[in-house]
Amino acid sequence: MSAPAPTPVQAARAAARRDRWRSPTLSLRLAVVLAWALLPAVGPSFQLLDLALKIALFATLAASYDVVIGYTGIVSFGHAMFFGFGAYAVALAVGRLGAPTYGHLLQGFLAGIVVSGVVAVVVGAFSLRVKAIFFAMITLAFAEFALILAVQWGALTGGEDGLSPKLPGVFAAGAPGVFGLSGRLVTYYTLLAVCLGLFLVMSRFVHSPLGRTLQAIRDNELRAEALGYRTFVFQLVATSFGSVVATVLGGGYAMWVRYVNPESTLGIPIMLDVLLMVIIGGIGTLHGGLVGAAILLSARTLLPNLRGLSGSLFAGSEILQRLSERWLLYFGILFVLVVFFFPRGVLGTLREALARRRGPTASGRT
Amino acid sequence: MRRATPLLVGAALLLLLPLAAIEPRAWLTLTVAGLAMGMLIFLVAAGLTLIFGLMDVLNFAHGALFSWGAYAGFTVAVAVDGRWGWAASPSVWANAGLLLLAVAAAVAVAFALGVVLERVIVRPVYGQHLFQILITLGATIVLEELIRVAWGPNDQVMPVPATFQGSWDVADVVVLRFPAIAIGLGLLVYGGMQWLLTRTRVGLIVRAGVENNEMVQVMGHDIHRYFTGVFAAGSGLAGLGGLMWGMFSQSVRPSMGGEQLIFAFIVVIIGGLGSVTGSLVGALLVGLAYNYVAFLVPKAAIGVTMGIMVLVLLARPTGLYGAGK
Amino acid sequence: MDVLELEGVHTDIGQHHILQGVSLRVRPDAVTVLLGRNGAGKTTTMRTVMGVLPPSRGTVRFEGRPIHGLPPHAIARLGIGYVPEGQGIFAALTVEENLRVAMRAENAESRERMRRVLTLFPDLERFRPARAGTLSGGQKQMLAIGRALVNPTRLLLIDEPSKGLAPIVVEHLVGALEAMKRETTVVLVEQNFAMASRLGDDCYVMDDGRTVYAGSMAALAADRDLKRRYLGI
Repeated sequence: MSAPAPTPVQAARAAARRDRWRSPTLSLRLAVVLAWALLPAVGPSFQLLDLALKIALFATLAASYDVVIGYTGIVSFGHAMFFGFGAYAVALAVGRLGAPTYGHLLQGFLAGIVVSGVVAVVVGAFSLRVKAIFFAMITLAFAEFALILAVQWGALTGGEDGLSPKLPGVFAAGAPGVFGLSGRLVTYYTLLAVCLGLFLVMSRFVHSPLGRTLQAIRDNELRAEALGYRTFVFQLVATSFGSVVATVLGGGYAMWVRYVNPESTLGIPIMLDVLLMVIIGGIGTLHGGLVGAAILLSARTLLPNLRGLSGSLFAGSEILQRLSERWLLYFGILFVLVVFFFPRGVLGTLREALARRRGPTASGRT
Repeated sequence: MRRATPLLVGAALLLLLPLAAIEPRAWLTLTVAGLAMGMLIFLVAAGLTLIFGLMDVLNFAHGALFSWGAYAGFTVAVAVDGRWGWAASPSVWANAGLLLLAVAAAVAVAFALGVVLERVIVRPVYGQHLFQILITLGATIVLEELIRVAWGPNDQVMPVPATFQGSWDVADVVVLRFPAIAIGLGLLVYGGMQWLLTRTRVGLIVRAGVENNEMVQVMGHDIHRYFTGVFAAGSGLAGLGGLMWGMFSQSVRPSMGGEQLIFAFIVVIIGGLGSVTGSLVGALLVGLAYNYVAFLVPKAAIGVTMGIMVLVLLARPTGLYGAGK
Repeated sequence: MDVLELEGVHTDIGQHHILQGVSLRVRPDAVTVLLGRNGAGKTTTMRTVMGVLPPSRGTVRFEGRPIHGLPPHAIARLGIGYVPEGQGIFAALTVEENLRVAMRAENAESRERMRRVLTLFPDLERFRPARAGTLSGGQKQMLAIGRALVNPTRLLLIDEPSKGLAPIVVEHLVGALEAMKRETTVVLVEQNFAMASRLGDDCYVMDDGRTVYAGSMAALAADRDLKRRYLGI
């Protein structure tokens, strides 16, 4: 028996699905994944491996932030907080429940997810009903509060010194590993797989009907509401989703770096980093996070080498020396310049240029 | 105002509660300290709330203006003290002179910076919330780092005029001098702002603009001039707050603005966007609560301010005096 | 010379191409009515004229001179008054303060005009020191119109004044507008056809961001077919 003719929407979706397999960016994406997977064989230096994995983690974190800020259009400063929750949850689980086991590791992740989920829902339920600016400020206040709590509650969190968890089995420092791969490499591939998995989930999320609804809400909340969508619920779902992804990544970070303290996981520096990565890469592009993370983190590892240089160049003037040391200053200037001249980020500008080349019909006007 | 009365009564009760746990003389000292801290936060929050209310701009750079005001005043104070020794001098006039010069420098520098910031950084992204936030954040980072470059990254001691140091002994109660002055200054500023807002044409237009700035434009007023004015005035106030805070804590450091900014944000949320009275009430509430709790349970102090914010938002999502936008 | 002339005006809001070619002419000392369904683009047209939204294409001319691209306050100062949909009343300010804000400059002439407005709308005189937020719907509408009259106005744009008002209040409103009609040119956006046909001399119908009908109000009111097609009545 033949199926009834597809509706226009179904036909469009089927066509989009077909296109996705043939799209040129698919091969690009596969190439990227391959590059990361083969890196340990090509460049065995630990520094390179560390950079690569951090880029992967932060790219995924930036993408999860992009879901909240770029696709749902909600400015939140609490994202780093959820990252921190994940990191602390894992660190505490393997550290405080007795000898570390895989079970504890899993429990850590689950605990982190639950806590983040609850907090995201509570904060959201509370503050999504108010004006956007208010929401941004409230999330900032909560994030600051979480930071101070972590610092003050030394008994639980180790205060400013943080925690140095010992991971179980193959993830532990210096573990012999399996299949000829060192423990370090197993951790690398596991986390890489997690990042890839999360990325795919997020990609499906934003391209799903749910994701499209969120974009509609972002573009014109009143109209979406008029159409009958309970925008509040959607926004809550989106922010909670983004937060949970961030939590899992935080746990992954704890596994890789094996050191968790308030400054590096909960504080404003992480928040700013992620924000800058999303901006540089391009808001609303999801993959922009990868570009942003790669640029930012690579620059950061190269800068210390430059610092030594500036020390000898400007030995005479203290002000000049200070000027060259304060990389944060240039960070800030870069930030402002990018926002001004490349508000769509690298990927966003590229996509726009390509769309324009393809012609006005491609811009999808109603 | 009338709707806020029951809340005010509740707040008043909250203030008297600590008397149960703290003996009266300590309570008085704490109250003065709390009111002073509140006043200083008010100086920052007042500008912030008007900027939010009128321009819908989330100004993260406000903290940097606070710091720059403090450092500008600091530089002048150190210079004047170095040259003429006005800080240590027993003469009240010299002391007052130093304070006035420092205040003038702080306000002038912050005001000027405010004008530049508004025209160069904020105006181009007007209307796009996300970019405003980002850009003012970026500007803050740059401004704070520039302080580190120009003055060095370490804490420095702020010269405080002798007359304003120490305390008065009033009927066996220790009243710290500088906080008392800060309170007086705060009340002066509040009074001045209220007068400006309610008795002048400029104030009228600003109040209208806070409610609906598009309507104000359509009535023939160049809202952008008002934006720049309010932004600059708010910046000047932040600078004043910074200088006073520097004297209050007898030190300046590059991160001081950022640290106080979070308090200012919480106060603006509690008080309601666009309400100067709201930020006064919120600031005093926060200042007092912080001091009482810090005395009783030091680690819970900052939690209390968050707690107040949460409670207020539950009872009234737009803040105590919020316009309900 | 036409008081107001729009030619081929296109306006975008974000990515949405709202106005797709609006052309209309407003005769002096007449009431021109802008009709059309919800979402046809009537309010967007008004806002484009006032400079709140910049047109992406086309020209807007006031008394012969092009005003598109000018900022709203400059356009207002040329003598155009605007009463937006929803009135735009400053609720926290008193009635008197609302009127004072509307003045382009607070001088003897403006204060005299304010007195006349208060005479025209006695309710406003009664509630002069009261907060405008406490007024009833009809009183707010009077205040909104009154604010526009506090300045010498050569063109008055009024957007859906009868919206949400009880019929008896609408009657009062029509009376007030008929009184003003003789002093200044009015462009009225109205969904209430009865009111529109009583006040209007010329009319334009908009649909989907375009002007689809131009003619006299009387002609439209008499044509059942047109009314059904464009206004659904």
